[in-house]
Amino acid sequence: MESVTAHLPPAVVVRDLHVRFGTVEAVNGVDLEAQAGQATALLGRNGAGKSTTMRVLAGVVPATSGLVIVAGQDVREDPTEVKRRTGYCPDVGGLVPRATPWEHLQLSARLRRMDDWEDRARLLLERFELGSVAHRVTSGFSHGMGRRMSVLLAAFHQPDVLLLDEPFDGVDPLGVEATMEVISDARARGASVLVSTHLRELAMQVCGAALVLRAGEPVANLEAAQLVGEDGAGVYRALLD
Amino acid sequence: MSTARSWTDELADLRALVAFRLAGQRSSRRRRLRWLVPGLITVSVLLVGMLAGLDADPDRTDQLRRLFPVGCLAFLGLVVVSAVASGGGRELLPRDGASAYPVSPVVDHLGALLLAPLSVAWLFQAWTLLGVVSYLVAPAAVLPAVVVVLAWLCAATAAGQVAGWAAEAVRRTRHGKAWLRGALAVGILAVTGLALAGPGVDLGNPSGLRFLTDAARHPFGATWLVTVVGLLLATVALVLLGALPARSAARRLPRDEARLETGNHPARPHPTSDFAALHRIDRASVLRSLPLRRGLITLGISPGLIALAADLDWDTVILLPGLAASGGALLFGVNAWCLDARGALWRESLPVSAGLAFTVRATVLLELLLAASAVSVLLGSLRAGVPTLSQGLALACIWVVAALMVVSASMRWSLRKPFAVDLRSARATPAPPGVMVGYSGRLALATTVVSLFFSGLAVLPWPFSIGFALPLLLVSLLRLRRARRGWEDPFARSRVVVTVAA
Repeated sequence: MESVTAHLPPAVVVRDLHVRFGTVEAVNGVDLEAQAGQATALLGRNGAGKSTTMRVLAGVVPATSGLVIVAGQDVREDPTEVKRRTGYCPDVGGLVPRATPWEHLQLSARLRRMDDWEDRARLLLERFELGSVAHRVTSGFSHGMGRRMSVLLAAFHQPDVLLLDEPFDGVDPLGVEATMEVISDARARGASVLVSTHLRELAMQVCGAALVLRAGEPVANLEAAQLVGEDGAGVYRALLD
Repeated sequence: MSTARSWTDELADLRALVAFRLAGQRSSRRRRLRWLVPGLITVSVLLVGMLAGLDADPDRTDQLRRLFPVGCLAFLGLVVVSAVASGGGRELLPRDGASAYPVSPVVDHLGALLLAPLSVAWLFQAWTLLGVVSYLVAPAAVLPAVVVVLAWLCAATAAGQVAGWAAEAVRRTRHGKAWLRGALAVGILAVTGLALAGPGVDLGNPSGLRFLTDAARHPFGATWLVTVVGLLLATVALVLLGALPARSAARRLPRDEARLETGNHPARPHPTSDFAALHRIDRASVLRSLPLRRGLITLGISPGLIALAADLDWDTVILLPGLAASGGALLFGVNAWCLDARGALWRESLPVSAGLAFTVRATVLLELLLAASAVSVLLGSLRAGVPTLSQGLALACIWVVAALMVVSASMRWSLRKPFAVDLRSARATPAPPGVMVGYSGRLALATTVVSLFFSGLAVLPWPFSIGFALPLLLVSLLRLRRARRGWEDPFARSRVVVTVAA
C-alpha cells in the first residue's frame, strides 16, 4: 500500500547549511530532506555536526547561511511558528533543574495553547515510568530519567516534526521501548521524525533513511537497509574514517 | 601503603587546583587575573598612604577611635555570616567538576579560605579598617598599625571559616537544620529585643576589642607585640582547627540539598497567561535553589540587623537598599540565564517571544531585590524613629532606583558574559571568583555613590528626591531596553543558551 504522505512536500528541507562558531565550522554544507510520516537518522562521530544541525532545525541556533524549511516554515523568517510545530529533545540535559515534570508540561501546554492535555500528559508519564516523580524537581533525576523526560516533552504536543537528539543515550531497555513507541506513533500520524544518535543499530530499527555526517560535512545519504547488520556496520565504519 | 596525608600534601594539592582553575580561563581573563592581587594590594597601599597624610580632626578622631572596634567586630560578623550562609565558604572547584578528583576536605577548607577575601564585602570592610587606622595614628606609626589590622583580618577570616564549617557539620546532622534555625531565631530576637530595649543599650560598643585600638596606637610596644603575635598564632591555630569540622561536614550528606531535590511540589492551577507561566517557573528556579534562598534570607536580615544594633539614623538606613540590591544580584542576577542551566536548550525551543522571556527574567530579579531590600530597611528602621517626608521619599526613591540600576546592569552582563554553573550546591556562585570580584566592585561602587547622593537629598525638600530619581530610572530603563534588544538577536541569544547549557 502506498503511504498517504508520499506525495506531500518534505517536512524538512535543508539546503547548503553552514553554521560557524567563531573560526570553527560546525556544519559545512549539509543538505537534507525528511518526509512526513518517515523517520530519518543523523549519524556520525562526536563533533560531526549532528547536534548543531538539530539545534538549527529546532530554531535554537541560527544558521550562518543556507536554507532551512521546517514544517513548511522558513526557520529564519518565523522561528516561533517553527517552534510551535516541532518537538525537540536536546542532546544534553533538556530540563530546567528546579522545575518538576508537571511544571514543564504545564509550560509547554500553555505556550502551545493546548487544551485538555492532562490525560495525555499522564499517559505519557506512565508510559515513560515517570508518573511517580511527576511533582519532583528534575535536578534529582538520574541521567536516564532525564533523557526519558526530554523525549516525552518533545512528543507531548504531537508536533509535525519530532527532533530527537541522542534519545537512547543512557536509557534502560524499557525507556528505549517507550521512545520507539513514540517514534512509531509520530510516524503513524504523519509526523516527520529526525533521530540523531551514535547507536546505529537502534536507529536503523526505527528509521527508513540515514544521513551520515563527518566533520560537519555530509558524506552519505543511505537507505536504512544499507546500514543494517554486519554489512551495515562495515559500511558505516568505512564512512567514519 | 600509608594513606595518611600531611599538610604539605594538602598545600601541594591546593597549589595544583589553583593552577588547574587558572589554566581553565581564557588567556585574556588569565592576564587580568594575574593583575588582580597586585591591583588589590596597590589600592590598599594607596589608600593607607593617602589617609596617613591627612591632618586629623580631633572630633572625627574621637568618633573613629570609638568606631574602630565596632568595625573590627562587624568584620568578624561578616565573615562568619558569609561562611555559614555559603555552607563552608566558596568552592575552589565546582563540586561536579571536582568529583572526578580526590580533593580532600582539608584542601576544600584551604581553598575556601583562599577565596574568602575575593568578595567586595570583605575587601570593602578591610579597606575601611585599614583606612581608619591609618587616619587615627601618627604617620610614623602607620606601618605597625596596619600590621595589627592585617593580623586581625587573617584571624577573623580563619575564625569565620571555622564557624562556617562547624555550622555546616551541624546542619548536616539529623536535626541540624532545626538547631541552626533555632539559633538564628534566638539571635534575631536577642538583637531586636536589646535594640528596642531603649537608648541605654549600646550594642555597637564592643569593649573586648579595644586591645586592637591600643595595639595600633602604641607601635612596637609590649601590647603591640603580644597582639600581633597572638593574632598570628590564633590564625594558624584556627586554620588547623577548621580542618576538623570540614572533615566532619564532608562525611555527612548535604541534607538540605537532598531535601530540595527529592521534595514534592504539588501541581498548581494552570497559569492564565504566558507571562504567568514563565514567571512561575523562573521564580521557582530561584526559590528552590539552596544558595539563592539562603543568600536572599541572609541579605535581607544581616544588614538590617547590623543597622538595628548600631542604632543607625535615617541618613544611614538609606544606604541599605543599595547594599541589599547589589548583594542580591551577585547571587544569580549577574548570570541570570544560568537559572535554566541544562534546560536552556529546551526553554529556547518553546514558542514564545525572546522579549517576553527577557522581561519575565528581569521582573523576577527585580522582585527579589526589592523584597530583600525591603526586609533590610524594615529591620534597620526599627530604631530610627519616624522619618520626615523628605527622608521617607528619599528612601522610597533609592529603593526603586538601586534595584532597577542593578537589574539593568545584571541583565547586560548576563548577555555579555554567560557561564555554565550549577546552582545546586550551597557554595555555588554564578561566575568564577575573579569575575565576581569585578562585578561586586562595580555594583557596590555604583549603588553606594547613588545611595550617598540620596542620603544627601533626604535633608532637602521632598521634590528633590523625585526630581533626581526620575532621570536615573529612565536611564536604567533605557539600558534595560537595550539589553532586551541584544537578547532578541538570535545569534547573541544562542551563544548564551549554548554556553549555560554546556
